[in-house]
Amino acid sequence: MSTKLKSFALHQALNHSLRTVILSLLLTFIIGSGARFIFIDDNVMNMLPEDVESRRVWNEVSEEFGYSDFLFVAFGHPGEDALTPENLALTWDLTEAFERIAQVDEVISIATMNKMEGDEGFLEVDELMDSRNVDSLETGEIARYLKDNNNLSSRVLGKNKDYINIIIRPTPHSYPPPLVDAVLEITAKYEKDYDFHYGGEPYIAGTIPELIQTESSKLMLVGLLLMTLILLANLRSFPAVGMVLSVIFLSGFAMLGVMGWIFHFTDSPKFYFTMVNTSMPIVLLTIANSDGVHILSRFFREARKHKDVNKAVTLTMNQLMLPVFLTSITTSAAFLTMVTSPITAMTGFGVTVGAGILWAWILSATFLPAIIALKKWDFSHASLSKPSILETLIHRFGRNILKRPKSVLAAGLTIVGFALIGIPYINVEVNVVNMFKPGMPIRESAHFLDREMAGSMSLLMKIEGDMKDPELLHDVVKIQNYLESKPTVNTTVSIADVIEEMHKSIMDNNPQYAVIPDSRDKVNNLFTMYSMSGDPDDFESLVDYDYEKGLITAMMHSISTKETVEISNQIEHFIQSELGDRQIQISGLMMFIKDFVDLVVQSSITSIFGSIVVIFFIVWIFFRSWRFGILAIVPLFSAVILNFGLMAWFGVDLSHFTALLTSIIIGVGVDFAIHYIAEFRHYSENGLQDDEISRQVVDDVGYPILLDVFSNMGFGALVVSSLIPLVHMGGLMVFAMLSTSLGTLTILAALMEIFREKLIYQYRS
Amino acid sequence: MKLISVIYLLTFCFALDGTELARLMDIRKTPKDSKADLTMVLTNKKGKQRTSTIRSFSKDGGEKQITWFLAPADDKGVGFLKIEHDSKDDEMRMWLPAFKKVRRISAGKKSDSFMGSDMSYEDMASRQIDEFDFTITGEQDINGVLCKILESKPKESVQSEYSRHLSWVHPEKHITLQEHSFDKSGNLLKEKKYAYTVIKEYDILQEITVTNVLKNHSTRLTFSNMDLDTGIPDSQFHEKYLKRLPK
Repeated sequence: MSTKLKSFALHQALNHSLRTVILSLLLTFIIGSGARFIFIDDNVMNMLPEDVESRRVWNEVSEEFGYSDFLFVAFGHPGEDALTPENLALTWDLTEAFERIAQVDEVISIATMNKMEGDEGFLEVDELMDSRNVDSLETGEIARYLKDNNNLSSRVLGKNKDYINIIIRPTPHSYPPPLVDAVLEITAKYEKDYDFHYGGEPYIAGTIPELIQTESSKLMLVGLLLMTLILLANLRSFPAVGMVLSVIFLSGFAMLGVMGWIFHFTDSPKFYFTMVNTSMPIVLLTIANSDGVHILSRFFREARKHKDVNKAVTLTMNQLMLPVFLTSITTSAAFLTMVTSPITAMTGFGVTVGAGILWAWILSATFLPAIIALKKWDFSHASLSKPSILETLIHRFGRNILKRPKSVLAAGLTIVGFALIGIPYINVEVNVVNMFKPGMPIRESAHFLDREMAGSMSLLMKIEGDMKDPELLHDVVKIQNYLESKPTVNTTVSIADVIEEMHKSIMDNNPQYAVIPDSRDKVNNLFTMYSMSGDPDDFESLVDYDYEKGLITAMMHSISTKETVEISNQIEHFIQSELGDRQIQISGLMMFIKDFVDLVVQSSITSIFGSIVVIFFIVWIFFRSWRFGILAIVPLFSAVILNFGLMAWFGVDLSHFTALLTSIIIGVGVDFAIHYIAEFRHYSENGLQDDEISRQVVDDVGYPILLDVFSNMGFGALVVSSLIPLVHMGGLMVFAMLSTSLGTLTILAALMEIFREKLIYQYRS
Repeated sequence: MKLISVIYLLTFCFALDGTELARLMDIRKTPKDSKADLTMVLTNKKGKQRTSTIRSFSKDGGEKQITWFLAPADDKGVGFLKIEHDSKDDEMRMWLPAFKKVRRISAGKKSDSFMGSDMSYEDMASRQIDEFDFTITGEQDINGVLCKILESKPKESVQSEYSRHLSWVHPEKHITLQEHSFDKSGNLLKEKKYAYTVIKEYDILQEITVTNVLKNHSTRLTFSNMDLDTGIPDSQFHEKYLKRLPK
């Protein structure tokens, strides 16, 4: 950074402190006022990319056959027969109420199903339940029909017949949270009399955003409180902690303002405030905290030495202006690499956080020194008269490390090596149900639906061909039989089931005829016969209008993306070996999530390595040596390896969430290495004995680094969350802070000590 | 004829009320029987179409009806017989040539779809005057004719899929040119348009278009090769004729 700019900023902060503070506040207010334009969009589906092949197929399927991921509502009393007139009346009422919800396309229940029966030349296609109030005789008739038609029964009745299941098909592109709210509002008044369970992707998608927002905001407040206490314990000054927090909050306000202004002027969905963006405050908070902590702790150190505020501020800013600028620019660059993410919202996330970081730097370079200069400091106060316990500890720690740099390096590399071995074993997967801790109603309900009902997830297969051709229909039956042989699949539904049922009915309910007819004409006659009294929409979710495309829906247990891959590979293998060249595409939300997670993981890893390259070049340019560039990325590399490797060893799955979080936190961790190198460079040209340089650097940089780390570890409070993604966020936050800081203070410090002579020589020359 | 003349006289002397208009529509002169070929085009919300051609014989204002599918080729030969009864369930039988079987079909509900179209059996049946409350709510120009707008509300005792209908009725011919039917929640469910031709002094339906507004699905039914009052015997409406496609 040019000396002129540095001098100007310092001059303004020291000689026009009040004006600088007012101007900073005014500018922050103007930028932050854009926050009123923020557009909140918490529809998780909007974040998912449209151009992934599996999403394209999924969209096509939804467009052609209606939305195929269902919301399930099961109610009953454990161990009691669910088929009673009272329960059927409730099924009727709930079905009618659900049908009135705007986001509901169709409700499948005993109250909406048709029955088809034939006897002595008479064929009946009628409603299974024709009115709300059925007597015990009619109830018995319904029970008999369901018993004879296991395929229907498995969808609307529990395995032990003690629960009734209602399946809700949302409208395509519907927004899950209001749908879930509306469903819960309807069932609320019956909850005291019945045991209710809910499940399915729309239910989870509709519940997660609010849960995450509620729980994360609560725990983040706890984290912020812990951070304040840790800062207070070490800085031992309320005003100093207030100054650090003021930089954090002002830059956060400006960051939200930037987001609002950009959206206001561009109307771009990339700048919607989505669920992903809820982590923006915590990310910025961590980075802005780092700037403030480094400046305040250095100021205290200088003030203790010189007993002069202006001199202490001048020395602090002269020393820290460049590293704070560099850490800001490198972290901003790291965040800007997110524009390549397949998640639309990540572009806005990267740009906005990047802008917030730059504003935090501007405030750290102007507002913070100005406000420090304005304060009347009491030099007899403990904070300005003696070092804190952490400072004393880091002093001893530094001496020990630098006594045996090679051993420290070897130990550090051994740990990194151990982590490296784990990387191939990292498990890339997502099981949406397992995002909730055991015991949480949402998880237990999903397990209940898996165990007792038809399941809570669905896998879809789109088949192209003449859907009236018996040969194709036989293949459909083969696929269904194969799917039903899988333990994860509870039941399957296709047009072939309806054809078999119609065939049986037309042949006087003779079970021998519950098969696909032997000619196309017969199949066609069955459809024509059905159309005489059935609703033309009855088959809409099974076959397209021209009978050229069909859909097989497999209702299954909640499974992970890894299991989805396994089952889809098995199906593909089965199709290839048994059915030759049939045109069949496997789809469903699970397939799409699997592709999406893979994409995000890949792009996050690309982003991590992209950030490392960017950081290397920035440090090389500003420190005018590629060696410093390499050194700056050493702790980052170590942290990446440690992070992913230990995730594998500790069984933390690599999901879109953990990958994204790792890339973010590692971007934050680069600051430590830059501060260390800047300090090393500073002492190399300031007449300190060569063998004293590293010790002094660890003394000066170690304390703020560890104070930054410990204060940010307040966000480890997130590990007590009942939502696994938040637990991971808290855990990874703590771990990444430790790995990047210790990587700097051990591996980087030891490396720089070992190559000290070469580095000093190169720098001085 | 005398009754009709009296009613016409009354019409000129006094302002017509809804029930009187409905009665005039009910007693409108219609053929005893008819033969026609129907082309039914179903169009779904994506604009995809299915076309069927049906030969239909009917008698007694449609109370007896026998139909055969002529096209598409897949459906050719499928026959359908319907006989309405006042005192018992309607009789419906179907000939399925591929199975070589006649099957009786349950009459189902009035709201069930007729042949997969947007018309229900209720839409096909004529309204019984004593089952509805009729009101004339205004007048509106339809295709150059100032039509009476007749509101028909089913009485509470009557089972219907609708809460009310608004019919645009030709003031002299007493035929419906357009109709809007509303579901139980009061929302517009179907829009129906009718076109007529005059054969043997009868105003005969030539085309019906029904759009289900909620499903965005429509049905267009066009009548051709119409032959009226040919003296179709009652015996024609029998199961055995289902199997024989008339030339």
